[in-house]
Order: sequence, then C-alpha cells, then structure tokens
Amino acid sequence: MEKENNDKLKIGIYELTGCAGDALLILDCEKELVDIFNAADIQSFLMAKSDNIDEELDIALVEGSVSTEREKEELLDIRKRAKTVVAIGICSCFGGIQAAFLDQKEWEKNFKKVYGDAKMTHTKPVQSKPIDAYIKVDYYLPGCPIGKEQFLSTFNRILRGNPPDLYRFPVCVECKWNENDCLLNKDIPCLGPITRAGCGSICINHNLPCVGCWGLVEEANLTSEFQLLQEKGFDYDFIKKKMANFSGTGIADFLGNLKGDKK
Amino acid sequence: MNGENKHLTHDNPFLPEPARIVRTYYLTEDVKFFQVRIVDMEKALSFNYSPGQFGMISVLGAGDAPFSISSTPSRPGLLEFCIGKAGTVTNALFRMKENSLIGFRGPYGNGFPIEKMKDKDIIIIVGGLGAAPLRSVLLYCLDNRDQFRRVSLLHGAKKPAEMIFREEFFALKQREDLECHLSVDKDDTGKWTENIGVVTTLFSLLEKIDPVNTYALVCGPPVMYKFVIKELVNLNIPKDQILMTLERRMKCGIGKCGHCAIDYIYTCLDGPVFTYWDVIHMRELI
Amino acid sequence: MRVIKLKKDNLFPFLEVISEKADLWAPVKKGDKHVFKVVDDFSKVELNTTRTILPPRKIFLPQTFSMFNISEKGYEEDFSHVTKKILFGIHPCDIHGLLTLDNFFKQDYLDPYYLEARKNTLILGLSCWPDEYCFAKSTNTHIIEEGFDLFFTDLKDFFLVWIGSSKGDDLIRLKPEFFDENLTDKDIQTYIDWQTARDNAYKWSINFTALPDLMELKYRDPLWEKLGDACLACGSCTNVCPTCNCYNIMDKQFLGGKDGKMIRYWDACTLEEYSEVAGGENFRKKRADRLKLWYTHKLQAYISKYGKPSCVGCGRCIVTCPVDINVRTVGKALLGEKEDAFWLRFNKEVTK
Repeated sequence: MEKENNDKLKIGIYELTGCAGDALLILDCEKELVDIFNAADIQSFLMAKSDNIDEELDIALVEGSVSTEREKEELLDIRKRAKTVVAIGICSCFGGIQAAFLDQKEWEKNFKKVYGDAKMTHTKPVQSKPIDAYIKVDYYLPGCPIGKEQFLSTFNRILRGNPPDLYRFPVCVECKWNENDCLLNKDIPCLGPITRAGCGSICINHNLPCVGCWGLVEEANLTSEFQLLQEKGFDYDFIKKKMANFSGTGIADFLGNLKGDKK
Repeated sequence: MNGENKHLTHDNPFLPEPARIVRTYYLTEDVKFFQVRIVDMEKALSFNYSPGQFGMISVLGAGDAPFSISSTPSRPGLLEFCIGKAGTVTNALFRMKENSLIGFRGPYGNGFPIEKMKDKDIIIIVGGLGAAPLRSVLLYCLDNRDQFRRVSLLHGAKKPAEMIFREEFFALKQREDLECHLSVDKDDTGKWTENIGVVTTLFSLLEKIDPVNTYALVCGPPVMYKFVIKELVNLNIPKDQILMTLERRMKCGIGKCGHCAIDYIYTCLDGPVFTYWDVIHMRELI
Repeated sequence: MRVIKLKKDNLFPFLEVISEKADLWAPVKKGDKHVFKVVDDFSKVELNTTRTILPPRKIFLPQTFSMFNISEKGYEEDFSHVTKKILFGIHPCDIHGLLTLDNFFKQDYLDPYYLEARKNTLILGLSCWPDEYCFAKSTNTHIIEEGFDLFFTDLKDFFLVWIGSSKGDDLIRLKPEFFDENLTDKDIQTYIDWQTARDNAYKWSINFTALPDLMELKYRDPLWEKLGDACLACGSCTNVCPTCNCYNIMDKQFLGGKDGKMIRYWDACTLEEYSEVAGGENFRKKRADRLKLWYTHKLQAYISKYGKPSCVGCGRCIVTCPVDINVRTVGKALLGEKEDAFWLRFNKEVTK
C-alpha cells in the first residue's frame, strides 16, 4: 500500500565536488530503486530528476567535498533546511583525493601550477575540504563509492531514526573472510589495516593492494603501518603520499607531526 | 551448570519471543519504565526468573541489548524494565508507543543467590540506574517478607528529579518491616525532606548490623562501588556476602558471542551478579 | 579402532562415490596457499598441504550468515547454512580445533547453528607433514584419536584408513572393494617409521605447561604495552584461529520496515569495538588489554577448564600477523626466550 507523500520523510540528495559516483550508486540500486522512492519523498536529486524542490528537508545526503565558495554557501543552506545531514562518500567524509594537499601554501602552489593565471568568473575556488569543515554532520557513510548494501541499510536505519550500523573494523577483517593471502606478508604496500571495511576487500580479492579509498578506520595504527612499510623497503615519501591519497583531513594530524620531517 | 540451562521460550536459545509493550512512562528525564508482556499468554504466565537476572530485548531495525529485569517473579505475567537512554536500541525503545511489538528472550545470568540470602539481613544499596536490577530483589524480599530478617534500602541519586522509582520508594517508607533511607547528592528543589549527601552518608543512619548474617547488594555507577564497598568491608560484612551486578557488552546472553568474557568467565553466565571476593580475585571485573 | 588400507589410486574414485549425496569440501590451491572449498573436480584436491588460510570452522559457522528471518508473523529460524557436507583433508590439529569448539558450543546453552552444521558434516581427516611454522607437537595435537569419521594416513604407496565412527564405516561399505582389510607387518613398520620421522620433523617447540602461570605473573609486564603499540588491530589472528568462536550480530531490516534478518558474523576480541557498551564506554580501549584477553584465552583460561590449551599449534597466527604478534613470539617472550619480531623492533616514532 502506498502512503501519501506527505507522510514520508523528505529527502534531498546533493552533489558537491567529486565524481558523482555515490549518487550514481544510488541510481544503480535498480532492484531497490522503487522501494527507495516508495519509502521516502525524494524532493531533490539532481542526477535522477528535474523537478527538484529545495525546501525544508528531513534528511540531506551530501556527496563530494567543498572546493568553491558557491559550494560552501550551498552546503550552509542545506544544513539550514535539513534536520539530519549525512555525508556520503569519501570526499564528503574526509575530503577525498582533492584534499590530499592540506597545506594552504602547497595548495596555492598546486592550484597555480594547474590553472595558471586563469580568472575564475562565477565562483572563487577554495582549498578542498570535507563538509564537516563547515557544518555539523550527523552521520558519515564512507566509501569510494559507497557500498550498495551499506547504503540501503543506512538509508533504512536513518529513515527510522536509527544511526547507521557500519563495520567499524579495517578491511583486513573482510579480506580474511574472503580468505585472501595477506599482501603485506608478500611485501606489497597494502593499506588494509588502516582502512575502514565495507568494500568487501574488493581490490585484494583481485590481488591488488588496498589504496585506502574508504578512509581511515577509527583505530588506525598509522605508526605501525608506516614502519612496517619502511621495513619492507618502501621509501618514506612514497609511504606518506600513499597514505595521504584518500584520507584527507583524517590523516592530516599524523602526517603533520611525523618525526621524520622534523629537523 | 552444564546442560541444565534450558531455554524457557524456545529450543533455539537465540530466537526471541514476540512481546508487547503494555505500558511505558518516564521515570526521570532520561529513564523510562517499560511493562512488557510475552504475546503467547501461556508462555507469559509460565515465564519464571530470579531477581538479578536479565533478558535480551530486540527492536527490529535497531538490534538487541541486555536489560535487567526490574519486576519480581513473585508477581508473574508482566515483565518490567527501567531503561536509561544510552544507545541505538534504547533510543528506539524510547520512541516506541504502548502496544508496540518487541522481541524478548531470557532469562539469563545467575541472579542473586536467593536461597543463601534467606533468614539473613539484607541491605540493598542503590545508586542511580542501579535501581533496575535491585528493585526486583527488593520487591521479592517484600513479597516474601517472612523469609528474610531485616531488610534495608539505601537509595542515592544525584538530585531529586533523578531518583528512579521515587514515588514507589517514598511509599515504601511507610512500611514498618523495611528500613528505607533515601538521599540526594544535591537538592536543587529546596523541597527535599530526606538526607542530603552521597549514598555512603546513609550508612550512619543504619541501625547496628549483624555483619556475619548480612548480605549487602550493591548496584550503581562505577564510581559508587569503591566507596560503598569500603564502608561494607569496614562493617565487617564477609567479602562473599557483598554482591554486585556488573555491566558488560553482550550480544547473546548465553555465553557464545564472547563479548562479555573476563578471563575465563562470561558475565552473562557466571554473572551479572558477582561477589566482592570475585572482584578482588579476578582481573578486569571492575 | 578398525584400521584398513586404501590404494593411492583409489582415493579420488572413493571420494567421488561418497560425495554423490553431499558437498565435498577439500583443500585446493589459492595463489601459493590453500583454502577449503567445495570441489567437483577431484584433480584439484591437494593432498600435500599444510594449513589452509582460514580454519575449517568456516564450514560450520560461515563468516556471515542469517540466523533468522523477522517478519510481522514473528521470528523464523534460518538454517540455510546447514547442508550435507563431507570435509576431506582436515589435519589432526584442525580436528582438535573442532573438538575445542564442540566443547564450547555444547557447554551451558547449546548453539544449534554450530551443532546442526556439525551433525551434517562427515570428517575425513588426513595426515600431514609439519613445516617451519607448525608446532602441534608442543600442544599435543599432532595426533588424533577421536573427532573423525575416517582418518587417512598417507604412507606414500597407500593410505592407512582409521575408521572412527559408524558413519565412517558406512562410507567404506559403499565401496568395500577399494579397501584391503589385511595389514602386513611391513605395513605396520612403514607406519611406525613414518610416525617417528614425522614427530622428528617439527622444527621448533614451546613449553605450554609454563604459560598459564606466566600469563598470571606477567599480567602487568611492559611486554603487553609493547605488543599493543605495534598491533594493527586488524583481527587477522582471530579470524585465522581454529578455536576462536566470537561473533557479532547485525540487524538487517529491509526498506519498508516490516521485515528483516538477523545476521551473525565473525567478530574478534582484538578489534576496538569488541568490549564497547551502549553509551560508548569501552572496557578494553587499549590494544594491549585486548591482546591480553586473546592470549589469556589461548594460553591460560581453557587449560584451567579442560586441561589443555585452546591453541592447537596450527601456526596460522604465525604466518598471518604482519607484525609478528603470534603464539610463538608472545609465548617465547613470556618464557623469557630470545626471539626476533617486528613488534620487538617497533619504535613509537616514525623516522626517515
């Protein structure tokens, strides 16, 4: 039995700077798509529909990081309108690849290198940051892109007022469940131990090392992982770059305070 | 204990029994009272347990969690819980209205050693949410008053509004066969007529005790144990007659999931009631 | 126990006959390691293996499975993980692992999810040869006298087949012509020689008798902090351990909110959230405390109850832990013996 739209929670799905992979994944839930639209009143979802209404919301799902002044304003507006804000995807949660350079000066230098003296006319670019740099975020759903199962379960839980129930352990747990041989033990630089599970250890299942695209796991032992990779012969700067790749703000403190960089 | 634990509701001890929230209301700002009845009437009436045991409540979509049973087996049919807002399951329970369906399984844990406590003096020391398991044993003692000697209740809360079962315990003050002392750390109302001070200040109000024949039952926030136990040991109550109920993470309640393990014991099977001697003897207990 | 002979060539034909009505699980290659898998192609079955990556308990309690379905009608048991199985190629240490789990899942409350799967699985053990990580002789789990339906000792030209149960005997009766009832003196001597050579092949050992007391005496030793500093808290030691039994549950509600499933999945006491209660208090926030719990269970607690450690000497934690936290290095450190390990070299600061 279909409920009237006004009984349902009002949802908005928004995309900031990113690859739109998370929004795409939601659309890719083909079998469940009807259920999703039945369970909630999707008011705004630019990738899926054109008649978007941007009014009061119960829940806003926000993908992507903030990399322009306009996105910043848009985000602040979303927060004002939504009772609950959920960051979806690594860019929204931790800044993603575009937040790999966290040092302001370094960012300015890189920006100049890429864009030269080009004038930005419609908005001012800013250093890319996760959405919680600007607003309060109620829940985080990491992933690159987010996982289908975790999304559906999280979406349902939030609709019913329950917080997400996500795996809080590292990729290694899923990797072992999938009975993979540990790549670190084969001297391959795998970030599984410091990366949040949920992806089903998909890379390692295909014999590729984890690159950390779901962001840091809560208890990531970065010092141990770093030294382990050093012992395996990897270069200090290589490890730093590898760790910084996806984890954005999540790893900033650790990398900023490395003894190895202090003179 | 091997083999004797027969589950009361199912052959499959993991399977919850549908139950209904009959009544629910706020005891304090963030503690709610729930009266629950197993839907199957026959099971509801035959369901038996000991004071101090607990049950697992499940809410579809939120998960399940262990809760002390606050009612007494001497009043069968309805199960009562007093639940503080703590996590996902309790938040979901707080949103549920009367007549909602939940899952229930149990009873689990050792409970208080009622048989040993018979013909002895009983002192019940409650702090905050510790009232949840201790109300069960208090009501049990009162319902079977002739089986116990002196029964005393020392109940402490931070402030009057946070005293759980306040009205119920105030009413108990009228009873002549119960020594009931209530206290608040701080009176922010100006209307509090009872003792003011931490729960240990109530010990001075207790009449002289007969330590060797006394069982002291303690439950409250972790900080409370240290001070209360010191008093009890000073009163010369034997360490194995000082009983406390402890909290641990539990997912199964039947000694299988491992989460409540301490050394080689499982809080859900060998506890949640432990003696002070257990606490000294075992690492990690508190 | 009845012991008979099976010609080498007859093994796969025999497995083919008996697996007609059940899934045959056997060790097969995965990369340069081995895993237990359902096999249709018997040429893939590996006879000369050491440990599989995951222990055989995954066959009884899968990594994740549904315990029951929830609907408006109530709760309905889900035993879809229980099917008729034959587990071939399980080594003595892993059979000991199953016996340890049997004790655990039968004590106090019975766990029907494990016990039903166990009841529906025949155990066909296989002898093995230790590599540099095995230490089953130290745990006395290199020999096995119970817990199997059939046990095959590989003596090069033939198998000695030990019939451990009536169900095992039924399997033999499906193809009695494959077997030879008569053991010659020479056969017996071959077995004795094999056993002596196998026992001598263990490359290292550890004194388990001393460990329970040392766990108690060194409970506050700085060793634990050192281990905790290096531990990646990846849960791998637990996942690969044949006697670990902890699990977690997850309530999976379907969109619409009327029905769902209760999912049970392997948990590990070495993971951060393991001892966290509602409200966020964590009784074992520190990795050192969690490792203490794990090692208390492996080296001390089970001994006090059953007279033997719950470690079966399979060596999986040794080959798996990337930072060398395993029964060997921890055990030797408790005993005060010198050992090389990443966690001993570990430094709290990262330098260039």
